[in-house]
Amino acid sequence: MAQLSDLEYLKLSKGRKIGYKLGRFFAGIPKAFANLGLKIWDVLKKGASAVGREVKDIITSFIQGDWKTKVSYLVMGFGCLARGQILRGLLFLLFEIVFIGYMVLSGGYWLSMMPSLGKVGPTEEYNEIYDVFVTKYNDNSFQILLYSVLTIFFIIAFIYTWRVNIRQSRMAEKILATGKRLKSGKEDLHSLTDESFHKTLLALPLTGIIIFTVLPIIFMILVAFTNYDGSHDGYISNLFHWVGMDNFNTLFSWKSANGTQSYAATFGEILSWTLMWAFFATFSNYFLGMFVAMAINKKGIKVKKLWRTILVMTIAIPQFISLLYVSKMFAKDGILNGFLLSMGWITKALPFWEDPIWARVTVIMINIWIGIPYLMLIATGILMNIPADLYESARIDGANPWQQYTRITLPYMLFITGPYLLTSFTGNMNNFNVIYLLTGGAPLNPAASSAAGNVGYTDLLITWLFKITTGADSKYYLASVVGILVFVVVALISLIVYNVLPSIKNEEDFQ
Amino acid sequence: MASVKLTDVKKVYDNNVTAVHDFNLEIADKEFVVFVGPSGCGKSTTLRMIAGLEDISGGTLEIDGEVVNDLQPKDRDIAMVFQNYALYPHMTVYDNIAFSLRLKKVPEDEIYERVTNAAKILGITEYLTRKPRALSGGQRQRVAIGRAMVRNAKVFLMDEPLSNLDAKLRNQMRAEIILLRQKLDTTFVYVTHDQTEAMTLGDRIVIMKDGFIEQVGTPQEVFDTPVNLFVAGFIGSPQMNFLKAKLVQEGTGYCVDILGAKIPLNADQTAVLSGKNVRSQDIILGVRPEHTTVLFDKTENAIECKIDVNEMMGSELHLHLSSANDDKIIVRLPTVDLTKEQRESLGYGNKMYITFPAKVMHLFDPETERSLIDG
Amino acid sequence: MSETSSMKRHMGLKASRTLANTLIYVLLIALSVIWLIPFICIVLQSFRVESTWQVGYVIPQKWGIDNYRNLFSTNFPRWYINTFVTAVCTALLQTIIVLCMSYTLSRFRFKMRKPLMKFMLILGMFPGMLSMIILYRVLKDLGLTQANATPGLILVYVASSGMGYYVSKGFFDTIPKSLDEAARVDGATRAQVLNKIILPLSKPIVIYTILTAFMGPWGDFVFARYISFGDPAGMNVAVGLYNWLTPDQINKNYTMFCAGGVLVAVPVTLLFLFLQKYYVEGVTGGAVKG
Repeated sequence: MAQLSDLEYLKLSKGRKIGYKLGRFFAGIPKAFANLGLKIWDVLKKGASAVGREVKDIITSFIQGDWKTKVSYLVMGFGCLARGQILRGLLFLLFEIVFIGYMVLSGGYWLSMMPSLGKVGPTEEYNEIYDVFVTKYNDNSFQILLYSVLTIFFIIAFIYTWRVNIRQSRMAEKILATGKRLKSGKEDLHSLTDESFHKTLLALPLTGIIIFTVLPIIFMILVAFTNYDGSHDGYISNLFHWVGMDNFNTLFSWKSANGTQSYAATFGEILSWTLMWAFFATFSNYFLGMFVAMAINKKGIKVKKLWRTILVMTIAIPQFISLLYVSKMFAKDGILNGFLLSMGWITKALPFWEDPIWARVTVIMINIWIGIPYLMLIATGILMNIPADLYESARIDGANPWQQYTRITLPYMLFITGPYLLTSFTGNMNNFNVIYLLTGGAPLNPAASSAAGNVGYTDLLITWLFKITTGADSKYYLASVVGILVFVVVALISLIVYNVLPSIKNEEDFQ
Repeated sequence: MASVKLTDVKKVYDNNVTAVHDFNLEIADKEFVVFVGPSGCGKSTTLRMIAGLEDISGGTLEIDGEVVNDLQPKDRDIAMVFQNYALYPHMTVYDNIAFSLRLKKVPEDEIYERVTNAAKILGITEYLTRKPRALSGGQRQRVAIGRAMVRNAKVFLMDEPLSNLDAKLRNQMRAEIILLRQKLDTTFVYVTHDQTEAMTLGDRIVIMKDGFIEQVGTPQEVFDTPVNLFVAGFIGSPQMNFLKAKLVQEGTGYCVDILGAKIPLNADQTAVLSGKNVRSQDIILGVRPEHTTVLFDKTENAIECKIDVNEMMGSELHLHLSSANDDKIIVRLPTVDLTKEQRESLGYGNKMYITFPAKVMHLFDPETERSLIDG
Repeated sequence: MSETSSMKRHMGLKASRTLANTLIYVLLIALSVIWLIPFICIVLQSFRVESTWQVGYVIPQKWGIDNYRNLFSTNFPRWYINTFVTAVCTALLQTIIVLCMSYTLSRFRFKMRKPLMKFMLILGMFPGMLSMIILYRVLKDLGLTQANATPGLILVYVASSGMGYYVSKGFFDTIPKSLDEAARVDGATRAQVLNKIILPLSKPIVIYTILTAFMGPWGDFVFARYISFGDPAGMNVAVGLYNWLTPDQINKNYTMFCAGGVLVAVPVTLLFLFLQKYYVEGVTGGAVKG
């Protein structure tokens, strides 16, 4: 869609303006992807040239450096030690010794096993004394995969440290050549509370993230390319092995074996409900929460604090209590049905959790109950920040309350909370607690379940993922594939919103 | 109490934008230097590089002969006053002023001595136990200055210290800074975007634009002999008038032709121009409003103008005029000598005539925008 | 004539405002009832002694504290202690880590800052549940599962908490940078800037971080269940009480679930109401900053 000039745009009728904006939005999507592609390409190019520069610098440092620097190529930290920077030098040297020791003792073994993920599975061995067959456990695929990933991390860290060791030796050489003094170990330590304080602060959080987030994610991405499941657990039952793209092919195949539904269809069904759920859960909470906030905020309403506190209190109560309890309230023999029956308003228990449509509507309703207080808080904070003179000027211009809402309150809220809406949408896509504690995915969807897991009509991708990883025939490889796809969906949505939204948002810039 | 020397100092940000280009300046001991220029000209960046709050991308910075490029701010022995005062909100005025001394582990007795002394000079003794939130803008400003004062630092840096104050308070504080300077007797570097502050405070003024130094000189120098159009327009208020004109070489002399009005240059100007071997060419002529003479009747070599706006300022009138080729001109006309008829003739659309002597004229090359005579 | 019509209009305005406010009061009362009913029900049923299963009425026919007394003959005290220890440790350690991370990202400009933030944004898009399988096996090798689940759980909660830096970074961003700069010029090291200037100014966000970190473990279900792996000694309240509502146990333990729920909810809610102000500040600030 061609871009119009500002004046041309202003001449359009109201409907056409909306049409034009929508058109621009969708026209912007391919550009967003192209931009992303360019950005990734750019990052790769920059990375490659940075590596090139480093390699060149390593070589020139070797040629031009003095003998102390040259020895540092083999004995890490030598350059520092020889120039009196004992602390740095010792740390480098220690790291090298630990690394070599580790590689010799176990790292090498793990790496050599990585391509096969284990050669000998559990074997039955005859025990002559007791005259029985005893299972002997041999290679452990899980450990091999885990430790080879760790070893690769370690190697990367080593290369980086080696490089730093060379650079520091070379720099020290240059500094001494200009007649200046090198930093002592004490000064090095002191700088960790001053100019290098950020390194001190980040050390702990980043280590945690690398070990407990990055490593597991890489591991699980790798699992998507193996046949790791309950019957191939890598140690006790069977080894698991690399299977290439097989798992992706399975998930994307529409073919189904005798009478079962194909994975692709099951996945599609769950994905569409997940998106539907995320949409309703996000926007119902958003608008109703804003509405409640405005009602409490209205001039003339007394004891504002009491109303807020009543709602906010429910945030404090741990969700598992409220969700589990409410779930039982809505059960066939729960309080609600019991009440309605005893009043004679219904003759048969309402199928809150038994009928697919009822169940889906009920979870959305209960989610509103859970979410409104939170949104009410956010909306209150923002509403109070809207300058009062905007409303005064609107009233003088003749706007009625509804117009004030659609022309001032809503655009302002949307503008401020745009990023929040996005994170809340993706958060709802992965809202395990609400679904699992309320319904556990029920009611069962027999057709979809024939593919994998006990898929129910209210199951999200994330609860499905949980279901396939628990129980006897856990399909870990499938869970990994689903997890990767969840990532792809979330990333795509975020990308589109982040890249295309600002162009529309700018026009109603309040800042 | 130290000199500051900047040699080819450069600031390049991560996104490859150069904020300051090869900055060269020697600030003598106890000198008061003002960096002035429009926002984004690099003046604050330069000051912050001296303070150590920005990394120096190239060149060397020396304080008292020592290269301090790689020193942390705390090791440079400088004091600084920030534009928004940067008072620590959770500390009382006393603790704010004492903060740096406590970090240096100065004995409490001496801290008390120095803080109360500074407070007395600045007239904030009665606020010492208050928190900054309970102070007015002017009082906060004094606390900020007090915090810098007790340091006895080598260099005193001030980053637009008056721009958050209202006009009246600003004038008052400006005078106090002059007094303070006499008391402290140390090296000052002062940043402002306000040319009046620069003119009144500085021993020397550094005028900057887009990361370059345009001119360095005493207030009188930059006012009398601006080296280019930018400096000429920036210094002085109301701004210097610029007119399209022609420089004409006539025999051994030169004259300036403005819409047919011819004004011959004086001997000094002629000497410079012939020394540079300047030919007849188009020029931009700069004349300050206060140097323009208003004539009510047509005279030879006067320039005819039309009155657009007539601003009454009390002791004088500011007339906004436009010439026949639509140059906008402002002139200042003292009201005291005007007759009643003359005042009445100054209405919108009426014709006026202006002229000026050769010595107040600034000649600029339209291409290079540099002065043909000065610099 | 004109006077009366203007009076009429005036009256109309007033009347319509009163009507609107009445409607809003009705609505607010209705909302309050809807929001409170489940909690009133749970309290009432926790005092019911005539039956232990789910019934279709709310007011107990026979009152008593048997359910609470019975709790002490189950694993409930153990779960409670587990959860409490987890919550306290998590609150402490997580706050330190989150503050380190967010302060650094707010104040320092180092080369890897932007890439690091983007990287964490991307990491956050992976479903965290995926890490569970491997974390479980690793923790099992370390002996931190089942009966010893509590330290394992603390480790899991705390280790990745650096990724949740957004809200407090938003807060730090609102503290003017010139305060840091003034302190550095005054002779403070970066560490002193943090201790003497920033932290004293950050009380609201520190309390917010502690509060949310403390409340998290009380409600967490997935990781706790995975890591305790069916061993009652290692469960937290959420996992333990969940099991009482499975179809085979609900008839025996329903009222005891209610009693346990009340015991869990009351202290947490009180603490929360007490520190409500800071929570509200954090939440609104976080949402505005995105």
